[in-house]
Amino acid sequence: MRLHRVAVAAVSLAGSVVLAVPALAQKPGGTLRIYHRDMPPSASILEEATISTNMPFMAVYNNLVMFDPKEKINSIDKIEPDLATSWSWDDGKTKLTMKLREGVKWHDGKPFTAKDVVCTWDKLTAEESDKGDRLRKNPRRVWWQNLKDVTANGNYEVTFQLNRPQPSFLALLAAGYTPVYPCHVSARDMRTKPIGTGPFKFVEMKRNESIRLVKNPDYWKKGHPYLDAIEWRIIPNRSTRILAFVAGEFDLTFDSDVTFPLLKDVKAQAPNAVCEARPTNVNTNLIVNRDAAPFDNPKIREAMMLALDRKAFSDILSQGHDKLGASMLPAPEGVWAMPEDMLKELPGFGDVAKNRAEARKIMEGLGYSADKPLKIKVATRNIAVYRDPAAILIDQLKQIYIEGELEPVDTPLWHAKVARKDYMVGLNLTGLGVDDPDVNFYENFTCKSERNYTGYCNPDVEKMINAQSGELDKEKRKKMVWEVERKLAEDGARPVIVHNVANTCWQPHMKGLVLQHNSIYNNWRFDDVWLDK
Amino acid sequence: MAAYLVHRTFLMILTLFGMSVLIFVLLRVVPGNISDILFDSAGFVNPAEKARIEQELGLDQPIITQYWRWISDLAQGNLGYAYVTERPAAEEIAPRIPVTVKLAVLALIFSVIFGVPLGVISAVRQNTPLDYFLRVLSLSGLSLPSFWLALLILMAFVHYLGFIPIYTDPPDSFWKEIGLLSVPAAAVGFRSSALIMRLTRSSMLEVLRQDYIRTARSKGASPGTVNYDHALRNAVLPVVTIIGIEAAFLIGGLIVTETVFNIPGVARFLVEAAIWRDYPIVQNLVMFIAIVVVFANFAVDMAYMLLDPRIKYAD
Amino acid sequence: MTTIDHDAALLRAGAHVRGPWSAAAHLLRRYPLGAAGAVIVAVFILAALFADFVSPFDPIATNARASLAPPDTTYWMGADFMGRDVYSRIVHGARISLAVGAGSTALGCILGVIIGLMSGYLGGWVDLVVQRVMDIMQSLPLLVMALVMAAALGPSLENTIVAIAIPLIPHFARVIRSSTLSLREQPFVEAARATGMSELRIAVRHVLPNTLAPMIVLATAQLGSAILTEASLSFLGVGVPEPHPSWGRMLSESAAEYVRTAPWLVIFPGIAISLAVFGTNLLGDAMRDMLDPRERT
Repeated sequence: MRLHRVAVAAVSLAGSVVLAVPALAQKPGGTLRIYHRDMPPSASILEEATISTNMPFMAVYNNLVMFDPKEKINSIDKIEPDLATSWSWDDGKTKLTMKLREGVKWHDGKPFTAKDVVCTWDKLTAEESDKGDRLRKNPRRVWWQNLKDVTANGNYEVTFQLNRPQPSFLALLAAGYTPVYPCHVSARDMRTKPIGTGPFKFVEMKRNESIRLVKNPDYWKKGHPYLDAIEWRIIPNRSTRILAFVAGEFDLTFDSDVTFPLLKDVKAQAPNAVCEARPTNVNTNLIVNRDAAPFDNPKIREAMMLALDRKAFSDILSQGHDKLGASMLPAPEGVWAMPEDMLKELPGFGDVAKNRAEARKIMEGLGYSADKPLKIKVATRNIAVYRDPAAILIDQLKQIYIEGELEPVDTPLWHAKVARKDYMVGLNLTGLGVDDPDVNFYENFTCKSERNYTGYCNPDVEKMINAQSGELDKEKRKKMVWEVERKLAEDGARPVIVHNVANTCWQPHMKGLVLQHNSIYNNWRFDDVWLDK
Repeated sequence: MAAYLVHRTFLMILTLFGMSVLIFVLLRVVPGNISDILFDSAGFVNPAEKARIEQELGLDQPIITQYWRWISDLAQGNLGYAYVTERPAAEEIAPRIPVTVKLAVLALIFSVIFGVPLGVISAVRQNTPLDYFLRVLSLSGLSLPSFWLALLILMAFVHYLGFIPIYTDPPDSFWKEIGLLSVPAAAVGFRSSALIMRLTRSSMLEVLRQDYIRTARSKGASPGTVNYDHALRNAVLPVVTIIGIEAAFLIGGLIVTETVFNIPGVARFLVEAAIWRDYPIVQNLVMFIAIVVVFANFAVDMAYMLLDPRIKYAD
Repeated sequence: MTTIDHDAALLRAGAHVRGPWSAAAHLLRRYPLGAAGAVIVAVFILAALFADFVSPFDPIATNARASLAPPDTTYWMGADFMGRDVYSRIVHGARISLAVGAGSTALGCILGVIIGLMSGYLGGWVDLVVQRVMDIMQSLPLLVMALVMAAALGPSLENTIVAIAIPLIPHFARVIRSSTLSLREQPFVEAARATGMSELRIAVRHVLPNTLAPMIVLATAQLGSAILTEASLSFLGVGVPEPHPSWGRMLSESAAEYVRTAPWLVIFPGIAISLAVFGTNLLGDAMRDMLDPRERT
């Protein structure tokens, strides 16, 4: 395992090693069988914010541009054409003009034109008061707040007009979360019977049972896809689905479904299975309701931050593979990672024993002790990836006279509960669609973002966030990003406990899948995947 | 007899009506409703859209109106709308019924095949070591949680046979499906057979104590004739009742077993819908289960009446 | 409805034997299975009471080095993937199981007694309505009802007790009602009424004590199914939450995932549930034989 990891790290470090494509011709045909961990809330990628929708349905759609599918690291410098064949910025870097692919057809036979692009971004930027066919949910509206206007120049050219320069804009377009929707299909139909231009057509989705996609014979990329169909089976019980994979029922596991303790088991039972470990760019973090007594006292929040033993979390949850870092994904996979020596200076990093002694002193000063602990409820989503770290958190908080009881909240109620601030302390997971500071900061830490459900709002930090977003020089921008991260850590805004790392496994006869290492949301087109059997 | 039938039918309808009120009220004390689910799973709430959906679902109406709406729709066979998948609830529930019915019937067959004969043997050999052994066996059957048994079975399959009897594909032939379902059916049926065995034993003992059995014995009938001809024939009646009770008992076992074996049936669906707070689905599924149980009891009563000429029903 | 002659029943059951030890010996001979059940239940009760003394580890303490440790002299039943000692968790889990089992049975019993007594004693339309409601509640399987209740109330220890107690009410109410009905016409109740005792007083002083025996029989029988239901609910993720160690949840996802590398995670909690339920079932059977002559074999 170690060796494997080193190899992965080496590949990641190189950053741009192209995966060796087998010289043999790819075999067409066959059905790819994948298990899914739960029921996707809908098939409409634009409306959802979960890998549960993204992984199965990205193959139905196309983007304007995409991150190089052969690269393991998503980077602004490596962006490839998809429905846009070429693009150019004006001198002020606020006008992006794109030429569109001609002759592309939607799955229902209608032609794809610039009008569809305009429609898509109209939907994404629609105000609440707007009438017409709107998205029911728009979790990433904040991505497009700098977009002033989209215009079609004839049928095959569009221009995006920005308010100010934003170097990350192209990366946002390349995200798996940003497919192009057809104008002529209603938002409701896109949720249940999606129509795209992608390599696979949607056939059916049976609730908690299966999802079926078939090859799009008219796909614009000639010779692709290789597969005849993709079949997803939904198996909510993890032990059952891992058993099924081991027994050879599936070609590919759900993304990052195989944790490190499980990996040993999978390897023992299915020695031929290929398993790849990578960061999910999902971080486990602590949320504290700073409006609720006694947590309105910054001293207690500080003590809690000092009580964290991040390494113990990593050791227990992933046998030490989880990564420690600030708000952005750590190196080598993370493009914006904070340097090691800077990280050590953040509150709550460094020597655990010393930190905890300090935390205990704070708590004693507030009148708590082993005999008179502070009793709290730790709210978390009622699924294992949340519950397990929450159990560790409760155990660790015991060290500083805080006695926690877990309050598991069913998935549909979780976000509402946090948004209502109906919690004291919570354990939360935050995923990033793109490894870019704009995505992280705007979604999670600006005052008006819908997804900033902890309600953290600091005007000074917001200014710093806007400044880094407009910075064109990448090295300069990095330094600004680290400053923002430092400030967030000092404010105790969603302190990151660990950045998760997990495995995705497949049978050796499945070829051509490239997993990207700084986002799990971006390479599920499946048009290069083929079965060697 | 006709009067009894009418009386019994009336009671059944009354029970179902009360059931519907109970389910409805129960689900209205739930914190969080379907509109929360639709919007909050993405961590984003658009109040205007949410209000619109609540209006569409009638969630802003008084509870009496909501109840009336549900029950009048139900009476017309309209099960409402599953808002999570944006499909009619009937389309979601209907395809799941056959799988669960097949599983339940298989489990019932399994439990009767094992439960009844062992129960009879246990009664006939009362207080012998064999009886003790069978009693302990049946009690331990009742004590094993069926999900544990299911897990052990799955473990054994993967370990020894290298494959897993879970329902990943809708099987292409009927017999294949039965084969696939027989493993979980055994897991559920094991527990049920223990119950049947216990109840058969006690009803058999009851019969064996009756005067006419004593008379038959005193007249010199062979033990075999007494036990199997006289006693068993009369013990069949209570066993029919038991099988009726079983219907309710089985559903409990199916809930966990369908979850472990990933069977896309009604029982697993109930667990998921309850966790998802999907009112239309939970309401209708619980109602469906109630109807099945109430009908099973009704059928048992009717069978009892037809089978047992001694009982006169005056009302 | 036949009346129950409890004195005779107790006499036959061996209550006439003098001295606690000889009585115990008599019971052991007469009800060997029941005695075995009593011993099993006693062991679990002792484990629950003295959990802190007999478990070597804190049941919620995690330890990375002990992750999935196999059973050995330190971790007698191995450790789970968070390095928590399975033996300590099972011992503390006895507390949860018995607390939920006894708590929900007691709650169901108290509510059932009140309702049953009221229904049987007052009679008339109250009785009619109550009986209908009990019918309705009984027409749903225990687990279905508890599942919907538990999901509705949200996972917590108290909610789990309530969720299991409510479906148990009709069982108790039924038994109490039928005993009350037969007792109401008994001469000693009539006599009490003649002396001008208030109805409430009669119900509490005379009727209630006489329903004790069937109550005990039923409560013991229901204890097992309450424990089993708690385990099922926790297994499904709607029962008792962390950090309480619950046997059912120990068996759910986290444990089952490591089933082939760490079978002890599945085997021991499963045995604990089965044994506890088995014990109460054996005890319940013996109690019924002892106290309820109708069922005597």
